[in-house]
Amino acid sequence: MANEIIEGILEALRLMFTFDPELWGIIEVSFRVSLTSTFLAALLALPIGSYIGLREFRGKKTLTNLINTFMGFPPVVMGLIIFLLLSNTGPFGSLGLLYSASAMIVAQFFLAVPIITGTAKAAIESVDPMLKETILSLGANERQLWWELIKDSKKSIIAGFLVAFGQAISEVGAVMIVGGNIRWVTRTFTTSIVLQTRMGEFGMAIALGIILISIAFIVNYGLTRIQSRGS
Amino acid sequence: MSSKRPIKQLLSDHKTAIFVILILIAGGSVGTYFVIDYMNAQDPDIITLATTTSTYDSGLLDYLIPKFTQETGIKIRVLSVGTGQAIAYGKSGDVDVILVHSRSREDAFVNYSGGQVPYGVHRACVMYNGFLIIGHLSNPANLLPGDNITTVMTKLKLGMTIGHNTTFYSRGDGSGTHSKELSLWDQIGWDPITAGTNYYKDVGAGMGDTLLITYNDANDRGYTLVDRGTWLSFNDSYTTLSILAESVVGEDYLLNPYGVIPVNPVFHPHVKYVAVCRFVGFLTSPYGQDLINAYKKYNAVLFRSCFGTCNETHSCPTTDTEISLWAPFHSEYVGLSI
Repeated sequence: MANEIIEGILEALRLMFTFDPELWGIIEVSFRVSLTSTFLAALLALPIGSYIGLREFRGKKTLTNLINTFMGFPPVVMGLIIFLLLSNTGPFGSLGLLYSASAMIVAQFFLAVPIITGTAKAAIESVDPMLKETILSLGANERQLWWELIKDSKKSIIAGFLVAFGQAISEVGAVMIVGGNIRWVTRTFTTSIVLQTRMGEFGMAIALGIILISIAFIVNYGLTRIQSRGS
Repeated sequence: MSSKRPIKQLLSDHKTAIFVILILIAGGSVGTYFVIDYMNAQDPDIITLATTTSTYDSGLLDYLIPKFTQETGIKIRVLSVGTGQAIAYGKSGDVDVILVHSRSREDAFVNYSGGQVPYGVHRACVMYNGFLIIGHLSNPANLLPGDNITTVMTKLKLGMTIGHNTTFYSRGDGSGTHSKELSLWDQIGWDPITAGTNYYKDVGAGMGDTLLITYNDANDRGYTLVDRGTWLSFNDSYTTLSILAESVVGEDYLLNPYGVIPVNPVFHPHVKYVAVCRFVGFLTSPYGQDLINAYKKYNAVLFRSCFGTCNETHSCPTTDTEISLWAPFHSEYVGLSI
């Protein structure tokens, strides 16, 4: 198998620098779907997470437990649920969205929401209580306080966003079920690796794996730079 | 005063507006995806085909479909799954057409839906390939070239039940290959599942994974059933495995016929029946049949055409009426050559 790893590395370099349309198609689908779903999830999850972190209310403990449970929700089960909802025999079947990028966005959205909610909540809660009092004593209203706390904990929030994005782009079970791994349409890095392995094309599979890891590294490196500059 | 100052000022003055714009952009872009995907779902010239891993992973469809699209403008989205799953998708109407290999389940699909109307219509037998039994070179069950299927299966059974020197790895995933394997045990009137032997392993995996597991058998005594196409793409990697049994002259048990079946538009009115019929017409036309015979991988022919001759190749009960049904759909492809 050692040959295949070397072959894979060479193949990865060749595909990248010859701008192989299939490879770039896969990169485009993967990023479009995962970025959209994570971004949408952040729009919903940040306000909810910071609200839960800021306020005290009845049932907060239960809600926290629920969020923590859903943070580890098995992606393949999420895939199955979305599949059943979007399938022709399911309640949203008439939309015809099964086996499309939209279906993958929906599945990844529901996986990312609890992760971002949970990290945003934890980030807001971990802000020094002194800071909260100081802000209030300066005459800030509730909305200003909320905004200041979010600003103060933005590093953790960005980290939560990254975790959710990392999970989305490396996830395979759910996108395989709802996307169907259709060439040019719903084929992502992970589903393509599964296919290439099944076909015995280990070189191509390893190449895709190497490119996925490299891209993840570059994205993380860039975002870490942004984070450290912000402080 | 730095040049950044006015921009910062602008940003902090219009936080709400910027937030609303961001949401609008996100909502707009996602809305566009949903609208595009929704419109594609209504487009009569984009059809979805569910097929087996053996046809897709061999590259056959990536070779055939562009030629079909070139002639008709119809695009095909291919789902590469097992036969069982493909049939389930056909039943639920999530795909427009299926291309599978499990005769008994294909017949059930076109004959029965639990109601008045069948799930699928007009099965066409388009091509076949062969199944092989592969195993380690040490060949503890002593399969010999020229053994007929009864001898092969009996030797494997005895190896598992009496010799304890043979391990058989079953796909166990409801695929066409799995149901073929079960029908082969049925030939000798033995049921490995109820027999209670530890040497019959149900791995619940795809063909590639099952081959890998067989290859890694700890005592070099693993056997499995594989289609020729998948085997050809792996045999270079798995040097200790080889073909130990294949179809012998005069027997068709190890032949593997593929049928294409349009989903019934009466049962599922939304399926794109017209485009599907043109696709079946393409596969069954002399042009499509020639293309199938011409497709090679690893310098070997993987599939052989059999539309119209399936009665002779593997005693398929297809009637002349079923064959003549597709003739009108061949006119589009007359005069094309590969």
